Amino acid sequence: MWKQIRDREEGKIRPQSFAHRFKSNRIAQLQLSNYKDIVSPHKGAVNSLQIDLTEGRYLLSAASDASLAIYDVQRAADYEAGGLISKHKCIFSVDKQHDLGHKHAISSAIWYPVDTGLFITGSYDHHINVWDTNTTQVVMNFKMPGKVYRTAMSSLATSHMLIAAGTEDVQVRLCDIASGASTHTLSGHRDGVMTAEWSTSNEWVLVTGGCDGAIRFWDIRRAGCFLVLNQSSTQLGRRPPVLKRSMITKNLGIKPHAGQRKLSNGSGSRELPIGKVSAKGPMKQRSHPGMLSTQDRATAHYGAVTGLKVTEDGMYLLSAGSDSRLRLWDVESGCNTLVNFETVRLQTHKPIQLATTQDSTLVFVPCMRSVKSFNMWSGNTYATFRGHYECVNSCWFNEQDQELYTGGNDRQILVWSPPRLIDDETNGQSVEDRDNWSD
Amino acid sequence: MEAEERMGLATKARSLIEKATNSTSPEVDPRLLRAIKSVVRNSDSELRIAAETLTDLMKRDHSQVRYLTLLIIDELFMRSKLFRTLLVENLDQLLSLSIGFRQNHPLPAPPAVASVLRSKAIEFLEKWNHSFGVHYRQLRLGYDYLKNTLRLQFPNIQANVDRMRQERRERERKSKEILLNKYENLRQNLSSIKGEILSTVDEAGECLEILNSKDKLMQDDILDDEVEEFCHPELLQMRLDAIKEGEKVHENSDNKVVFDALRELYKLLVSKHLISIQEWISVLVRVEVADNQFRDSALKEFIDIRNHVKSVQKKCEEAGCSLQNTSKKHEEEEDFWEEGDVVANEVASSAPKNKDKHLDMASTSHKAKDGALSSRNEEPDSSNTRRLAHRRNEVDSNSLRGKLLAEAPVVRRSSHLDDWGSNRVFMANQRGLELDNHWGRVDSDAVIPADKIAELNVHAALYEEKQVEIQPCHAPLKKGGLCQRRDLRVCPFHGPIVPRDDEGKPLNQSPSKHRVNVGLGIDLAEQLAKQAVKNVRERDNEVAKKQEIDKRALKRAKLAKIREHNESVLRDAALTSTSRSASLGLDGDVADEGNLSSRDNKRSLASMLRKKTTSKDRIARKLLSSQARDATTRQHDASEDAKYREAFPNQW
Repeated sequence: MWKQIRDREEGKIRPQSFAHRFKSNRIAQLQLSNYKDIVSPHKGAVNSLQIDLTEGRYLLSAASDASLAIYDVQRAADYEAGGLISKHKCIFSVDKQHDLGHKHAISSAIWYPVDTGLFITGSYDHHINVWDTNTTQVVMNFKMPGKVYRTAMSSLATSHMLIAAGTEDVQVRLCDIASGASTHTLSGHRDGVMTAEWSTSNEWVLVTGGCDGAIRFWDIRRAGCFLVLNQSSTQLGRRPPVLKRSMITKNLGIKPHAGQRKLSNGSGSRELPIGKVSAKGPMKQRSHPGMLSTQDRATAHYGAVTGLKVTEDGMYLLSAGSDSRLRLWDVESGCNTLVNFETVRLQTHKPIQLATTQDSTLVFVPCMRSVKSFNMWSGNTYATFRGHYECVNSCWFNEQDQELYTGGNDRQILVWSPPRLIDDETNGQSVEDRDNWSD
Repeated sequence: MEAEERMGLATKARSLIEKATNSTSPEVDPRLLRAIKSVVRNSDSELRIAAETLTDLMKRDHSQVRYLTLLIIDELFMRSKLFRTLLVENLDQLLSLSIGFRQNHPLPAPPAVASVLRSKAIEFLEKWNHSFGVHYRQLRLGYDYLKNTLRLQFPNIQANVDRMRQERRERERKSKEILLNKYENLRQNLSSIKGEILSTVDEAGECLEILNSKDKLMQDDILDDEVEEFCHPELLQMRLDAIKEGEKVHENSDNKVVFDALRELYKLLVSKHLISIQEWISVLVRVEVADNQFRDSALKEFIDIRNHVKSVQKKCEEAGCSLQNTSKKHEEEEDFWEEGDVVANEVASSAPKNKDKHLDMASTSHKAKDGALSSRNEEPDSSNTRRLAHRRNEVDSNSLRGKLLAEAPVVRRSSHLDDWGSNRVFMANQRGLELDNHWGRVDSDAVIPADKIAELNVHAALYEEKQVEIQPCHAPLKKGGLCQRRDLRVCPFHGPIVPRDDEGKPLNQSPSKHRVNVGLGIDLAEQLAKQAVKNVRERDNEVAKKQEIDKRALKRAKLAKIREHNESVLRDAALTSTSRSASLGLDGDVADEGNLSSRDNKRSLASMLRKKTTSKDRIARKLLSSQARDATTRQHDASEDAKYREAFPNQW
């Protein structure tokens, strides 16, 4: 470590790479934090966790007892055991007693991406509430046709303030905070929509995953979806081998071997142009409305799609399905990159919340009672975080502090952090926790 | 080579653990446990292996194994930090395996052990959380989850202890307060309290004085009797006592009033003032105050008063009052004397031909106060004679007779003792009848000589069989428990009866065979240990300076001892398995012994799983067998048929 610092001092290492090295080193050491407790006031499963995007300091959690709470993860409310353990109590919490609070489980709670003055919750009582953080009052309310599974706002949107809502209903709704009404309905899914995620590279592009196993890409400026991910159109490796045509043909050659039924429509060759078009508007116009019906029926997972996560650079999409598979998609080509993630089992009934590190090397996935981190490109298990006693629903990675927060059905919110830099040897190795051999 | 050694040791730890958990007893064998601890303590790699083994064993589908494993885990958990960090990683698994809180993974059979396992695990978790919860988030989480989410009942031992301590502190505080109050109270009315007591004491003193002055006059004429005529020392003693008694002031009509007053005062002194003084003293001793001056002075005063009161009390008692049962005591004394008289009379009247009695008398004369005992010595039981012998011993231990008596055997009392040692000659015709018959004249003066009499009176000793308790066989049974058959030499099922320990392992097996196997190592270790100890002693005596060396030697000795102990435990383990198989005559193959014993044990473990067939089961089996069912249905049909036929006899 000291060597790196000296290198940085001498200018041998660039600041970026120094920071990067430092961070990845810390991330590698993540473990259940003994000195940071989040005191969860929830009496039900924690469904959703998010750190605000502006300060990286306030954690918003929502639980299935219709309660939600906000914590300051940087300043502790009080200390225990002689300052060894810092207890982070919630700054405030809202539960059923609140006049305008939700009546049923809150499935998703997200911060307004621009500042911490607002946050949005979606609940099984068919409502989406927009809250003022400072007054803890509901400032806006949207009625949905069914249970809300997921709400999402684009973090880069500059020209719209739309909440994308995935509900029991087949249609994805976009609610405008500015007008207080639902602006769009996007229809295409054949079953409820479990997850929705905005692209991190294009403010107009929305990705949704449904209970029908389909992942659809929508350009909200146009009707209909422009891309349906197909699990059988595959490519090997991180980048679509655009230059090496032979590689694609080889892939195509392999396909019949795999025995997939999607061979006939030649999706591989057709999807590439569509993928390209998706980035550039005019070309898409041609092919989009007339998407082949077979292609429209393509599925990304067997069973429901329970989790989606777009990487920080917006080039890849991770999806988790109730078939206990995790898939990494190349957004541009729309192909399954065939990374084999060593998941054991995923929760099937509830949407799960995935998290990635900023440089997209690791992905954190709730696997039943544990959280696993996988190498994004090889799919190897990097670490397993055991601590919850029941299924984990959500995880969120805090870039700023390199901490991971996980919430599960056991009502706990756990903090996973790298060990303290100040050596614990002096005060951590206290009298009680030493070898104590009597004979 | 080192790696090999480590492997060897590691497998040792594993085999020890497996050995320890492979039993049906409700506790881990303490020797094995100690061996495990000492093996694991020495190096981390063994500890890791042990942790691995233990977690593996927890997955066994048998509650007994899990239970024993849990006990070992607890032992190590409380001791080793590394073990804690290793185990805490998978705490949820450990808890689910030991408490069985997951619905799809209930605890395995047998259910009785499973419930014990659960309660023990909960208790351990509480203990762990209390001792190490601060350092391990996982412990806190597990405890919190079980307590607040699953609402399991924890024994709350620590909380209880805390509460008790709190209560005790509270009580102490209260008592201290009370003491302080009393102290203040005393401080304010010390003079009045003192005055009250002193006035009583003074009054009593006056009363005594009055009595004494009166009695002086009366008593002058008593002592003119002559003592010389009583030559017997015992009687002399009695006389002296009587005189002493007579010296005392006696209550009569003249001084009755004074006596009454004195008695009252005495009562007051003893029952009230003395106690209150005692109380005040204890208050003063216990109280904690800033200024000790007053306390000390008051204490001194009180002690003085107490002594004063005591002396007065003594005087009063001498004068003949005592608390509440003055008269009764007198009576008792009289009784005593009467009894003594009776004994004396008895002694005087009884003829000195009986030796026992004679001796008795001697003893009573020496110890006049043993009246109660002497009155009992007429019943002729052996214990009494023995005691008498003892007493005699005490009395005149230096005489030859006493010595002989000490050696003499104790015999049961019978008629032969009547003429013990006498040389008398008995008349053949004791009755003095005139006996004439046709066989000739009868010599009426015929005598039976003493030796004949002795011959006739030879002590007849009945052979008494010594009561020997036949030891039960105690060989371990396959279904658990020990064989309770009592045979003298050979049990028909388990062969010759040999002494066995609590688990049914034979005790005195010849270790010679094994010694050879173990080799020089132990001998060397033993020698080393002995040498070390000797060194220590020598140097202790010689120089006190060389303590450091001593310490090192001690340490070495200790290490050697540990090693020795381990070896012996292992040896024992091996030995028991061999002897077992040999005694059962199952197999002579020595190479197979480990396997065999484990199979044996497993059978016992497996037998725990087998459900006990209750009478209900047996009845059910009998009733629900297909045969029985068929028979029942047939019978039923037949009876139905019969009923039908009867109901409609001639319906056509």
